[in-house]
Amino acid sequence: MKINFNRREPVYVQVIRYFKQQIATNMFEPGQEIPSRRELAGEIKINPNTVQRAYKEMEEQGLIYTEGNLPSKITQDEQVLKAVREELIMDAVDEFVATVQPVHAPFEEIITLLQEKYEQAIEGKGDEQ
Amino acid sequence: MIEVKDITKKFGRKQVLKGVTFTAEKGEITCLIGINGVGKTTILNAIMALTPIKTGEILIDGEKLKPATFNHITFIPDAITVLPQMTIEESMQFMKDYYGTWNDDRAQELLSFFKLKPEEKISSLSKGNTAKANLLLGLALDVDYILMDEPFSGIDMFSREQIADVFTSHLIEDRGVIITTHEIGDIEHLIDKVVLLDDGVVKKQFYTEEIRAAEGKSVIDVMREEYKS
Repeated sequence: MKINFNRREPVYVQVIRYFKQQIATNMFEPGQEIPSRRELAGEIKINPNTVQRAYKEMEEQGLIYTEGNLPSKITQDEQVLKAVREELIMDAVDEFVATVQPVHAPFEEIITLLQEKYEQAIEGKGDEQ
Repeated sequence: MIEVKDITKKFGRKQVLKGVTFTAEKGEITCLIGINGVGKTTILNAIMALTPIKTGEILIDGEKLKPATFNHITFIPDAITVLPQMTIEESMQFMKDYYGTWNDDRAQELLSFFKLKPEEKISSLSKGNTAKANLLLGLALDVDYILMDEPFSGIDMFSREQIADVFTSHLIEDRGVIITTHEIGDIEHLIDKVVLLDDGVVKKQFYTEEIRAAEGKSVIDVMREEYKS
């Protein structure tokens, strides 16, 4: 597990984003156990209170759940999982639009480029496997 | 909670502390930052009653300092204080004989955590391992508060990383830590709270996550602002 932290953004927010990315890309599977507060703090070298805050927030958002004294787990709620995936895609699209729009390139040109790159990315992945 | 209330201190004619006020909570890591000579070590010494203060007050869990207070708090100075001809094992035994709060299990765990060899003499240790042995002797005590003076100063990167790992481990548990440093980079993400000192006063104290959330600033950004003005 490796997170490159931005020093100007709350660390707990970055931890939550990391979990969402891992959930959306299936690196964390529904129902999978997550590390304890201390374990994660040690692994990514951050304050355990910060991990605690991230976990509390994720619990409130329904991303993780805890039963009794057992380790917390990734949610199995289909609605939540779908929402995480959608949020991740939407954030990426927003960022893309914000970067590209000021260049004022014709929309069709952008779409063509996007399609080409996307196909290349899929092919590239195919080669690796 | 450790409460430092408006303390002042003079060395001769030099006013080192001009009214320092801050708090440090249990279960949190509070970092005193300031350039050298700003009075960081003096503050730790004052909390330990190792140096008398002129005015002001220091409370630990709501009570004034008294002999029993020091069963709940320990000070790890920036240099090891046991005799250099002792082995690590002997120095551990020395601490055990001297302090009723010595915890053998934690001491053994710290020994393996830092990968230190008990038979080695303090005088033969590298700078990094001396710093680790020094921390071991303090952290092995069952106390609620730990004061650390510049634990990262003057040692190699790998030793610094290993020491930083202590802060995320259960070896700290939910104890309260006050740490002084003039180098925030290594521990920016490990600390809860920052107390910025300058010219004998607290310029600013804040929670690191709050300053990031509210102002989008890193600890270093805040330091630049405060020390420039």
